[in-house]
Amino acid sequence: MVARFIENDAVAALAAAWARDYRLLAPVREGQAVIYRPWAPDMHPFLGRPPTASAKQALLPQTENLLSYTYRKDHADLTKTEVFLADPLPPEPTVVLGCRPCDARGNKLLDRVFLERGVADPLYAARRAATLFVTVACEHMENTCFCHWTGGGPTSEEGSDVLLFAVTGGYAARAITPAGEKLLANLPDTSQQIADELAARLANPVEPGPAPDLRAAPERFLALFDNMDFWMDQSARCLSCGVCTYLCPTCSCFNITDENQGLKGKRLRTWDTCMSALYTLEGSGYNPRVSRAHRLRNRVGHKFCYHPQEFPAASNERNAQPEVSCTGCGRCIKSCPVSVDIRRIVLDLLEKGEKK
Amino acid sequence: MSHSPYMPQIATIIETIDETPDIKTFRVVLQDPAAMAAFRFLPGQVAQLSVFGTGESTFVINSPPTRMDFLQFTVMRVGELTHRLHTLREGDPVGLRGPLGNHFDVDAMKGRDIVFIGGGVGMAPLRTLLLYMLDNRADFGTITLIYGGRTPEHLCYKSELAEWAARGDMRVELTVDNPDKNWSHRVGVVPAVLTDLNVSPQNAVAVTCGPPIMIRFTIQALAKLGFTDEQIVTTLERRMKCGVGLCGRCNIGGKFVCVDGPVFTQAQLKGLPQEF
Repeated sequence: MVARFIENDAVAALAAAWARDYRLLAPVREGQAVIYRPWAPDMHPFLGRPPTASAKQALLPQTENLLSYTYRKDHADLTKTEVFLADPLPPEPTVVLGCRPCDARGNKLLDRVFLERGVADPLYAARRAATLFVTVACEHMENTCFCHWTGGGPTSEEGSDVLLFAVTGGYAARAITPAGEKLLANLPDTSQQIADELAARLANPVEPGPAPDLRAAPERFLALFDNMDFWMDQSARCLSCGVCTYLCPTCSCFNITDENQGLKGKRLRTWDTCMSALYTLEGSGYNPRVSRAHRLRNRVGHKFCYHPQEFPAASNERNAQPEVSCTGCGRCIKSCPVSVDIRRIVLDLLEKGEKK
Repeated sequence: MSHSPYMPQIATIIETIDETPDIKTFRVVLQDPAAMAAFRFLPGQVAQLSVFGTGESTFVINSPPTRMDFLQFTVMRVGELTHRLHTLREGDPVGLRGPLGNHFDVDAMKGRDIVFIGGGVGMAPLRTLLLYMLDNRADFGTITLIYGGRTPEHLCYKSELAEWAARGDMRVELTVDNPDKNWSHRVGVVPAVLTDLNVSPQNAVAVTCGPPIMIRFTIQALAKLGFTDEQIVTTLERRMKCGVGLCGRCNIGGKFVCVDGPVFTQAQLKGLPQEF
């Protein structure tokens, strides 16, 4: 396949060109972090490291408007009030630059929840249809990376519109979708030398190392479900801060709250976290997930048991691994303030949940 | 207006009824008459009520689908939204999203003896099914209601309880933990009354809703009486936001109470991870 060439110095100009037709989200360095920001003319996109947060914010914003409401008093009879509702504005066409293959694969898993489970979410569907992902293929795996456990890999195309490969002097860009092809339309083809460099790289992929067989994970999770000693042990350090869920490309749980200003306001959807006790606390005071052990168990269960059980057909498409609701990006490991490692938990449950 | 699952319809409160010191009943109609005429649901289904500016919460539609003059909700004052709802008056607008969730399997209950076991505000989901059955009385066998509360004033639907007891085609057994001097019914917890009555499981279905602790002991009492797991039906409470299986929090294992419930048989509950 023909690849196009983007010189290192031309990345910002290309981003500026895309920003004329799209809302552009690009990663920039801010202190130790790499943060997605909306395009600004003085911006220097930084593609050298996976962004600190996943790209899910493009499809599921941290806060978004579900509806607006306005109360109107009847001036003839002040005891009477009417309320009027309005839809949110439609999303702008968007390009996300600089996500990684694990992020782009996360979009497919968000689709499972918001498009394929039952009720299709029209707000998500509109954003999904209007958003393109320009992904940077990974040159190596960080020590927190485990995409190969979950059916992904450093050059996986799944969920991306364009895949960029770092090559001498810039990036070789391959269009994965027709929409991605359009983004690359004005770029030159790579030179033969760069094409050879890319071919050599693809012929010698990063060797990710061994991966555990996750097919038994659902059954072993359920075998350990009532073993609270196991979950107390795994969650002993957890602070319930929720950073694992906020940075995760597939965590999609949300809250709905109203923000009122006088006689009008908005109903908002915001990211929520199953690591919080408030997440399941009922009005009566009853809480079905009363401890951190219960909450961590739910997070692991959702990703490695409930999801593969809900989408078994998808799991069979790849004969090696089931479809889990995790892309192995490792952000929950890298950013956890107390070093909870979901790989360790999964390995432990595979081992200890085995029927003796 | 969109077909967004988050977009409520606007309803007007036509009547409020004080049930207990902290429970009120609201009767509402959709402002759009065509939408009200087209509104279809089955006993056990829920809806989200909104007060815009405060939020939204899930309540069972406790009027039956056989009586569509209004939709009725019974609300215990426990949190922010329910406090706000309790301040509303006749004529005030509320948001309504629904119907949501599954429903009682009324077809499977036809021809069988029905035992309702309720506690406190847990009478609400039983009320919709009970009225549906009374409106289709010939389709069902004997109907028994065992209903309990902390004190006589903590029982909901007090005038209807007297009507039901006077009907002659159903049995009503009321009980309270703490009677007052006028109380002429039973004293004691609901599961004890159930055991006392020695209800026969023969061709019967038991439907129970109430505080979690009452449900737990009721299910134990029913099992002792010989009810199988398939003959025990309950409805689950859970914190909910979206009501359409997306926001995540009401899951029990891979099931979502808002779409796969709130109605479950004990057999179905036993098949789930035990986290409720």
